[in-house]
Amino acid sequence: MDIAEEKHPGAHTFKLRGRLDSNTSLAFEQRLFEAITSGAKHVIIDFKELDYISSAGLRVILKATKALKREEGKILLCAMQDYVKEVFEIAGFDAFLPIVPTLDEALRAV
Amino acid sequence: MGQPPRTFSFSLKNDIAELQTLGRQIESIGRALDLSKRCLFEINLALDELFTNIISYGFTDGGEHRIELNLSAADEVLTVTIADDGVAFNPTERPAPALPDTVDDCRVGGLGIYLIQNLMDEVHYRREDKKNILTLKKKLERIRPPCRGGPS
Repeated sequence: MDIAEEKHPGAHTFKLRGRLDSNTSLAFEQRLFEAITSGAKHVIIDFKELDYISSAGLRVILKATKALKREEGKILLCAMQDYVKEVFEIAGFDAFLPIVPTLDEALRAV
Repeated sequence: MGQPPRTFSFSLKNDIAELQTLGRQIESIGRALDLSKRCLFEINLALDELFTNIISYGFTDGGEHRIELNLSAADEVLTVTIADDGVAFNPTERPAPALPDTVDDCRVGGLGIYLIQNLMDEVHYRREDKKNILTLKKKLERIRPPCRGGPS
C-alpha cells in the first residue's frame, strides 16, 4: 500500500493506494499517529485509490478516531468505492464516521 | 443444471505475509470466473478475515501449518471449504457484536467473523479428523457482457 500525506490549511490528508489489511495496517497506524502526535487535529483519509480494506484497517481508523476525539479534533473519510463503503456500513462505523463523496467536500467540511 | 463445476485449490502457510498470496489467488480465480469487482472483494475479505483469525489463534505449537482452500463454482454459487489443523474453533457460534451508536461504544473484537457472516450467504462448521472445516457459500455476481443490439 502507498500512503501519500499532504498538509492543507486546517487538515492533514492521507491518500491511500492499494490494500489496507493486516500486512499494511501497522505502517498506516504509525503514519497516522505520528501526525496526531505532532498536532494534526483534523484528518482526512482519501480512499479513492484504495482497492481493499479488512477489519485490520477498520481497527486503525477506529483507534485514530478515538484519539482525535480526545484532542477535540475529527476525522473525515472520502471517495470510497461502493464496496469499501459497504464494509463500514456492515460494521456500523457509518453511525459515527462522516463519509463524504469527494476530497473537495471533505476539505470544505473541516 | 448448468456447466460442470470449476474447482480451484491452493494452500497457505500460517504466515501473515500469505495474505498477499491469498489476494493474488482470489484475483486470478475472479478473472477465470468473470466475477464482478464487488463479488471478488467480498470473497477476498471473508477469506482474509478467516485466514487471519486461524493463524492468530489456531496454532499454539509455533510450528508451520498449512491451511487448505478449495473453491468450486457451480450453478452460479461458489462453495469454499477451508481446512486447518489448529485448535477447535467454531466461528458460527460467535455472537454478533452489538453495532455501535457512537465511537465510544465501538469495539472491534469479533468484527472479522461478523463480516464473514454478512458477506457470505451460508457459513457451516464441522470438526473432522482433528481439523476445523468451514464451508462458505456465496452467490456469484458476474461481469455481464453488453447486450447485443441493446442501447449502449
